[in-house]
Amino acid sequence: MVRPEGRWEMNAKEIKTIVSDWRVAILIILIIGSLIAIYPHYDENGNLASNLQYGLDLQQGAWIQLELRAEVVGFTTDRPLNDFVGNLSKSLDADIELIDANHIEIRKYFTKEELEAKFSEQGGTLTSYQQGVSKDSAAHIKTILENKINSMGTKDAKVNTLAGLNNVVRYVRIELAGVNMNEAQQIVGKQGKFEIRVQTTGNQSEHVVFGDKISSVQVPEKDLQSGSWGVQFTLNEAGAAEFQNAAIKTGATDDPDNHELMMILDNVTVYSAPLNDRLATSLKTEQVRQMIASTGTGTSGATAATNLEIHLRAGALPVDVSIAGSGSTSAPLGERYKAMVLLAGVLALLMVGCVIYYRYRESSIVLPMVLINASEVLILLGFIAAIKFQLDLPTIAGLIAVLGTGIDQLVIITDEILHEGKVPSPNLYLKRLARALAIIVAAAATVVIAMVPLVLMDLSTLKGFAIITILGVLVGVIITRPAYGRIIMAILSK
Amino acid sequence: MGLFNYNIEKYSPQQLVVIPLVLLVLSLAVVAFFMATTGMPVTPGLDFSGGTAVTIRTTDSHDQLRAVFADYPLVEISDMNDAKFIKFGTMDDATSRSLSALVSEKYSDASINQISETFGKSLQYQAFIALIFSFIGMAIVVFLSFRTFVPSVAVVLSAFADMVMTAAAMNLGGITLTLGTTAALLMLIGYSVDSDILLTNRVLKRQGKLNDKLTGAFHTGIIMTSTTFAAISVLFVVSWIGSIQILMEISAVLLIGLVFDVLNTWLTNVGILKWYVLKGGGK
Repeated sequence: MVRPEGRWEMNAKEIKTIVSDWRVAILIILIIGSLIAIYPHYDENGNLASNLQYGLDLQQGAWIQLELRAEVVGFTTDRPLNDFVGNLSKSLDADIELIDANHIEIRKYFTKEELEAKFSEQGGTLTSYQQGVSKDSAAHIKTILENKINSMGTKDAKVNTLAGLNNVVRYVRIELAGVNMNEAQQIVGKQGKFEIRVQTTGNQSEHVVFGDKISSVQVPEKDLQSGSWGVQFTLNEAGAAEFQNAAIKTGATDDPDNHELMMILDNVTVYSAPLNDRLATSLKTEQVRQMIASTGTGTSGATAATNLEIHLRAGALPVDVSIAGSGSTSAPLGERYKAMVLLAGVLALLMVGCVIYYRYRESSIVLPMVLINASEVLILLGFIAAIKFQLDLPTIAGLIAVLGTGIDQLVIITDEILHEGKVPSPNLYLKRLARALAIIVAAAATVVIAMVPLVLMDLSTLKGFAIITILGVLVGVIITRPAYGRIIMAILSK
Repeated sequence: MGLFNYNIEKYSPQQLVVIPLVLLVLSLAVVAFFMATTGMPVTPGLDFSGGTAVTIRTTDSHDQLRAVFADYPLVEISDMNDAKFIKFGTMDDATSRSLSALVSEKYSDASINQISETFGKSLQYQAFIALIFSFIGMAIVVFLSFRTFVPSVAVVLSAFADMVMTAAAMNLGGITLTLGTTAALLMLIGYSVDSDILLTNRVLKRQGKLNDKLTGAFHTGIIMTSTTFAAISVLFVVSWIGSIQILMEISAVLLIGLVFDVLNTWLTNVGILKWYVLKGGGK
């Protein structure tokens, strides 16, 4: 074999010294780790596939953003808290949740002016007004939506609540991969079918009421005497009459234990329990509209109560919503975008390589630079795949910017070391490398700081972009720059 | 490096800053004009003003498209390579649903995005806050790393000039402020100070003659900007060919910003720094 006698030809021993340097070793380990995380392979159809997940601008899918029609308001009042909130709830005809001693969540839409008037009517003052719900309610709404979407068998669904800096959540974003807009709207808008049945004999049961007869459902509460959790719900007049008839007819009022009441959502039994004695007795003589389904004590009871509340609502949300935004991308367009951004990435790397070559005219410098640059993007992609982050178009723009700016910092290192065209002694070399790193760290800090506001705010899709950009800078400063410094020294000292 | 010759030493600080200063004043005037007429320094795009945008790949002419969407509040149709972008004004839920049904029925290669006006407004407010906080954060980092007043001000001023000039250019070039271009502006805040930091660091923390240091810094700095420019140009061209609007906008803003960055680093910042050192600052 004829081999050209290159200046940067290295023997095995030298390569071994470089690789065993911890900075270089970490880089190599991360590159291998990233390749495993990304896992490029051919799928069963022979298409190139990987573990990378794509945002809804790069694959078929639809997103819907819902605005929650509720308010979180601050207030003061001289009247007893419970009286005030109770009266307010009645006069507004709305569910009210107490958040803390001077904040409540009103689960119906009112303007600030309307509320100000109502508050002063009830002997209080409105001190702040924000549209949205509390973080707790938002988490609850998220669970309801997730349950609903999962029960429809939709895969790859994401529900994210967007909280502002004040911890009030006004928007919920639902992302559904692989469906079009109409399907998405149907999934989000669809209600489950809820039914209460009563056991007749053995496995037999009889219809009592459907979910439409349930006029309201309260949040889970703990009974202070028994310590048992439960969910209170209210039937409308017609429902209460049907309930009473069925209970008497089937004998549930006389023998509750053999005639359990069952709650069924979309043909799955979600709750089953006998009437308690007091309820059974009163049903014999009168209609009962409000009742509590108890779910037991402790954490398991609390969890069961939360789930039951969701089931009782049959997938309906505790607040009204309106569509604040939506979007969809068709399958061919997503595929085309994906191919294009891949092309852009590869070409950008080549272009950067050309510019660097134009400057240094020395492949022994240019090659490591470009490879380090590429490894940086690879590590980032590996990380993205590992944390199952969705790669979307703004993030890809950020990645390509990392290509362009990452190499800037390699240029700073190279120029600093090659200062005055001479290759320095190891001592001087380290001093210069440290000086270069000082410049780089300052520059990196500005990028990180510039992106921090986006990470803290829920500015829709830009949060991911900001996180990836910060990560790109960190990978560069902590991992690839030091490794490059070590490699370039070995090459230059030849 | 002989791409172009630029003798920083030839010019006095006053000569160096005059061009960017004039440009900055003009840009401020443009931005102020847009602020006065639209209420925002840069015209808000769909993400912030609300409305519906439809992207389709079609050979249909504008007139044909206008006929197809005659029942909807169509605002404008624009071309990008082989794709068409159709913008609609805000509409109610039902109309919006029937529009998305119509689009997916008639065009298989489509993407639809709809933003309500209130959501757009809240995004716009947050984007504005994000930009301001980014800028303040960047300025703090700069001051902390140099701890001398004039050089730090020079860097921050250059970055500020960068933003204002880019904003003015966006207005004149018809690029609106969207989530994508906000991201680009934030990137500019972070990245545009790279070369300023290099310059200031070389001049203040190194021994040697001022002019040698300036020339050296310029050599390194210009290649840095060139590599970024090269990468982003590729992104621009490819996104034009692939008609990916958001990437095209992001890359256009970055390219504009990088050009102004060269100007502001090697005229504004160098000018102020040179004046500072000649007056006896920085030892």
